[in-house]
Amino acid sequence: MTEGRFVYVTYINTTPRKLWDAMMSPEFMKQYFFGVTFDTDWKPGSDWRMIHTDGDVTDAGQIIEFNPPSKLELSWRHEMSPEAKAEGYGRCRMEVEPAGEAAKLTITHWSEVENSRMIAAVSGGWPQIISNLKSLIETGKVVLARF
Amino acid sequence: MTESSFHYVTYIGAAPEAVWAALTSPEAMETYFFALPFEADWKVGGHWRRSYPDGALMTEGEILELDRPNRLVMSWRHGDPEKRREGVSRCVMELEAVGAATELAVTHSIETENSRLIASASGAWPQVLSNLKSFMESGEIVLRHYHS
Repeated sequence: MTEGRFVYVTYINTTPRKLWDAMMSPEFMKQYFFGVTFDTDWKPGSDWRMIHTDGDVTDAGQIIEFNPPSKLELSWRHEMSPEAKAEGYGRCRMEVEPAGEAAKLTITHWSEVENSRMIAAVSGGWPQIISNLKSLIETGKVVLARF
Repeated sequence: MTESSFHYVTYIGAAPEAVWAALTSPEAMETYFFALPFEADWKVGGHWRRSYPDGALMTEGEILELDRPNRLVMSWRHGDPEKRREGVSRCVMELEAVGAATELAVTHSIETENSRLIASASGAWPQVLSNLKSFMESGEIVLRHYHS
């Protein structure tokens, strides 16, 4: 089975706890995640939806694991097209660990579907969103105002 | 064709000229590239070399393309016998202006499956590029030491 996988690692000048709190904060998310809100109570088994400023729900799934400040795992379905929706649910795992005096963030996104549209979509999105998160934490400003 | 490849994109709050300058400056590398000694003859066909602190060879290669400030391509091989045996890898750096920022895309590849050279580069690049981004935006690096 050819598995589609996207892995993104970054190191941010803050503590793991502060990185987790910033990443999960709705106020921060509006800035680094291009105005997106996550509609969920974060409890394992609960649904989640990613809602954009225009009201579009582009991605959705279930909370698999929620372990502050180290690990968040979600099932993930990209919903922007019928083809993407037909792929069903992949997985996204976000891990925060200490790295010296800094924090390491690893995002692993995977799908069992070959040439997954979801993987293609998130591969373009995560570097922008995470670059914004890193800049926001380290300098107080995002680096990209628009996706 | 079998290949091992690592691809990484980051967005840095500086213009491509400034990012290019940092990517090609041994002095700047002392900050973001773990103070590993670096020298290069910056012309197509020129040789470059990165050393361990004691002067032993870490990596070396040739400048293949030099299109400032948008495209830098280097051949890249390791001093480590096991990784050197794999032959020559190729590192492509592409810089594109995005508003006032730069999209920096690094693609490091070799025509071998399960390459140890690329596996090792895959661990190192996010550290180096995180340091570069932090240094350019805040004046401080994130990691003082390489994190294996």
